[in-house]
Amino acid sequence: MATAREWVGIQKFPLATQTALLEILGTLKEKEMDSLTVLVMGKGGVGKSSTVNSIIGERAVAVSTFQSDVPRPVMVSRERSGFTLNIIDTPGIVEGGYINDQALELIKRFLLNKTIDVLLYVDRLDSYRVDNLDKQIVKVITESFGKEIWRKGVVVLTHAQLTPPDCLSYEDFFARRSDAILKVIDSGAGAGVGAPFRKREVLGHAIPVALVENSTRCNKNDGEEKILPNGTSWIPSIVKTIAEVATNESKSILVDQKLIDGPNANERGKMFIPLILAFQYFFVVKRVQSWIKDDIAKAPKSSWE
Amino acid sequence: MASFTAGTGQFLTLGPTRRRSNPKTSSHPKPSTTHLATPIRCQQISSQNPNTKPSKPLKVPLKTLGVAAAVSGVIFLTGGKNPLLSSGSGGSGGGGAAGGGGGGGGGGGWGGGGFWRKLFSAAANADEEKGNEWDSHGMPADIVVQLNKLSGFKKYKVSEILFLDKVKSILVGSDDSFFEMVSLRANGVYTKAQLQKELETLATSGMFEKVDLEAKTNADGTIGLTVSFTESTWEEADHFRCINVGLMAQSKGVDVEENMTEKEKVDYMRNQERDYRRRMDRARPCMLPSSVHNEILSILGQGNVSARMLQNIRDRVQKWYHDEGYACAQVVNFGNLNTNEVVCEVVEGDITRVVIQFQDKLGNVCEGNTQIGVVKRELPKQLQKGNVFNIEAGKQALRNINSLSLFSNIEVNPRPDEKNEGGIIVEIKLKELEQKSAEVSSEWSIVPGRGGRPTLASIQPGGTVSFEHRNIKGLNRSVLGSVTTSNFLNPQDDLAFKLEYVHPYLDGVSNPRNRTLRTSVFNSRKLSPVFTGGPGIDEVPPIWVDRAGVKTNITENFTRQSKFTYGIVMEEITTRDESSNISSNGQRVLPSGGISADGPPTTLSGTGIDRMVFGQANITRDNTKFVNGAIVGERNVFQLDQGLGIGSKFPFFNRHQLTMTRFIQLKEVEEAAGKPPPPVLVLHGHYGGCVGDLPSYDAFTLGGPYSVRGYNMGEIGAARNILEVAAELRIPVRNTHAYVFVEHGNDLGSSKDVKGNPTEVYRRMGHGSSYGVGAKLGLVRAEYAVDHNSGTGALFFRFGERF
Repeated sequence: MATAREWVGIQKFPLATQTALLEILGTLKEKEMDSLTVLVMGKGGVGKSSTVNSIIGERAVAVSTFQSDVPRPVMVSRERSGFTLNIIDTPGIVEGGYINDQALELIKRFLLNKTIDVLLYVDRLDSYRVDNLDKQIVKVITESFGKEIWRKGVVVLTHAQLTPPDCLSYEDFFARRSDAILKVIDSGAGAGVGAPFRKREVLGHAIPVALVENSTRCNKNDGEEKILPNGTSWIPSIVKTIAEVATNESKSILVDQKLIDGPNANERGKMFIPLILAFQYFFVVKRVQSWIKDDIAKAPKSSWE
Repeated sequence: MASFTAGTGQFLTLGPTRRRSNPKTSSHPKPSTTHLATPIRCQQISSQNPNTKPSKPLKVPLKTLGVAAAVSGVIFLTGGKNPLLSSGSGGSGGGGAAGGGGGGGGGGGWGGGGFWRKLFSAAANADEEKGNEWDSHGMPADIVVQLNKLSGFKKYKVSEILFLDKVKSILVGSDDSFFEMVSLRANGVYTKAQLQKELETLATSGMFEKVDLEAKTNADGTIGLTVSFTESTWEEADHFRCINVGLMAQSKGVDVEENMTEKEKVDYMRNQERDYRRRMDRARPCMLPSSVHNEILSILGQGNVSARMLQNIRDRVQKWYHDEGYACAQVVNFGNLNTNEVVCEVVEGDITRVVIQFQDKLGNVCEGNTQIGVVKRELPKQLQKGNVFNIEAGKQALRNINSLSLFSNIEVNPRPDEKNEGGIIVEIKLKELEQKSAEVSSEWSIVPGRGGRPTLASIQPGGTVSFEHRNIKGLNRSVLGSVTTSNFLNPQDDLAFKLEYVHPYLDGVSNPRNRTLRTSVFNSRKLSPVFTGGPGIDEVPPIWVDRAGVKTNITENFTRQSKFTYGIVMEEITTRDESSNISSNGQRVLPSGGISADGPPTTLSGTGIDRMVFGQANITRDNTKFVNGAIVGERNVFQLDQGLGIGSKFPFFNRHQLTMTRFIQLKEVEEAAGKPPPPVLVLHGHYGGCVGDLPSYDAFTLGGPYSVRGYNMGEIGAARNILEVAAELRIPVRNTHAYVFVEHGNDLGSSKDVKGNPTEVYRRMGHGSSYGVGAKLGLVRAEYAVDHNSGTGALFFRFGERF
């Protein structure tokens, strides 16, 4: 992190935003945190890179609108008055309707030995339904980093500036959409490795949902702050959420080799193999042998034998 | 010797002897009915050998022939290469053997042998006879002529033969057992000498107190013969005893001199009596079961012991022996008549020697390459020296020897032991196969070239070259090798080879423990069922798993079907894609049509090449048998691969499989050829599991004709632990069966424990059931199976059995 550049982008933000951000950084520092690592994951083309850029306040990551995003994970580090913010932008892990295992491998390898304080799970607000693919992504993330990652998770919904379909208020639409996604996360994480999540476990700790609008045509308020249709200025709001999640009671996730490999089924029970072998010899092979002996004894003899 | 037996007992005759206790041994060739009338009540029945008769044109009754064949030569043919020899060969040997013993009127060597000779001579005579003309009797018609009045120079044609029982004054039908005793047949041509001989034979047979032969002239020049007789009878008996007199020295009777004083005669008689008692004591009890014993007692209860009754008893006793396979057993004598006990003397056919003989291609005896011990250990105990010869044991020996596959022809052949009366020598004649053989088979394959049309270059010569060196050192060790390729011009493309060394009798030929060492160098190429798509996906690029390595194992056979194998395998596994490039990951087709190579890893090392050494063990318990063609019983197999931590990534694993199959017979049926098989319920369970390192090629796959029918190979999934259960009900239909089945396979949630989760990557369910119906048509199973995952059915034709 020594190479972290000065966070200059922060100065380009409207004054109100700057103040809010600095305030948040201050509180983080108070809690004796001097760095924060944010992992951004999600489907391709939902606006992960744009979100990163928006938060940093500069074009730190190349956004490729039509291309399959960033080919490899990129970490953007910015330092401001002794506080370092690391944002890891990842390529979309979905390609052509499938989870791209290779991309996932890349991400995992990139994250090796890093600590993730916050996971931003990015999706669009303006898609209407969740499908199997969403479930798979959630599952993959859960499998890769363990279900604990969701305690550090924030759901980010991009393209927040939209007009909801008829007869739905923006609030209603947002509530439904985030509900649906949270449900997916709940089930996806549950379907992941290990013991299934008990319902309360994730919901008990409600995953916060943040809204994002990266478009330059984003509405702005008087202070030139980008605002959402509901009027909130979203950059300070999302950073605040991130900070909150980062400082919640759950521990940050350290990505080590073990975590990347996942629970290695090949290693499971290996130490018991000698025992298993002994069991097989004494209780299976011996048993079958005694059966054979019985067979020989019981074999119907011809009258001449 | 007046007493000893006919080969088949068909010609049992009563040889009167003077002394009650002169059992089977009186050697007087002058027995006559008068002796029976002597006040001393001592008779002895002895069956006599027909060979003592002069050769006559006799047609041996079929029944006799059948038995004779069984006795004279139990010859089994195998290999089918040289359809060989008839039972005649054995017979001739036997005949020759007994020839010396065959004597004049009174007796001859051991019955069986003599009989064969007779058989032969009979056949020969019959031939002669055909060409011969016959002479008219030259006398007025319808007069009765005494036998001695006939001319000695004429050949008389006998138009009919009548038997007249003088006691009952009735004619005896041709179905009477006496009828068989006379070798004369209607329409035969005989000389006076022959007729006289016949009469003499009948008279000395001991069956008759008195017997006469008269001729009646017919108008057409032929004569009719009337045999008038009085049957011998003895006192009633209520005890029966059967003894085995095989291998007992035939005691030499001392002739009763005409000039003996009365005292001498009494002494002689006592001696005889004592001898016989001693003989009976020394004799071994025979095997006759009490059921037959009781049957015979009931025959005895019918009244006075008569010749016919004895014949009945003899038939019954012999029938039991022959039914049980003791083909060489003979009733040789009845003793102790006129006491209240009938003693039946049986020569059961004790084996005195087992001779193993090798023959060259021309059938000459030669020195064999095979060590005798190799053959000896295949002989059942019952075929060893000191046991009673049994034809079934002989067949068993034949099957056992045949399963060595060292011989092109095997004969197991009992013949009488001329040095040891009543003994049987089992002769095993073997023709060895060539030790070395090589074979080349070739095939041309025409591969469509560019544009789909075959060109000259696309014609590929392929084939198999194999060689075999059998029976090295005469210990049945062998080396075999084969190389198969589909293109000899470019064999590196696909070359399958196998080189195997088999070393049986690891613990020594004489050790009953049967362990075989096998070492082989091999390679194989198989399509991996792990990389197969589920129902939704039709095209998954295939992964070929090539294995090449060395394998050594020891197999211990407990029974023909149950065995224990353990050994070590060293192999290199290479996974390749369609175009034979080494691939480290499975591929999958993207919806866009592209192929992505980021599928599950194919190997443990992740490079596409794994090397490993592991232990392998397999114990099979199989007690299945066939009941009228339906398989019934139980089969359990436990198989274990134990990684030793040697190889790429130090693989350490315990991969185990347990298969339990039960074939339950649902109805008792009579077991016999041609009877319908019983309905059978088959229950099957298969568990497979692995702890430790599990490369994808060793994952257990579900689905396929030997896993869950109705699915393709691996269509259900590939997992770390699996469970398959199946039930099948087989109903016999005509001479085959139809069946219904239900099957289920489950990954027990362990698909994800295979690296890369190929089950999920290729969209498979991980579990599936099926049900269906089918019929067995010869070797082919035709079945309609419904796969429960997609709910669709399909018709399958498969070779071989599912279980």
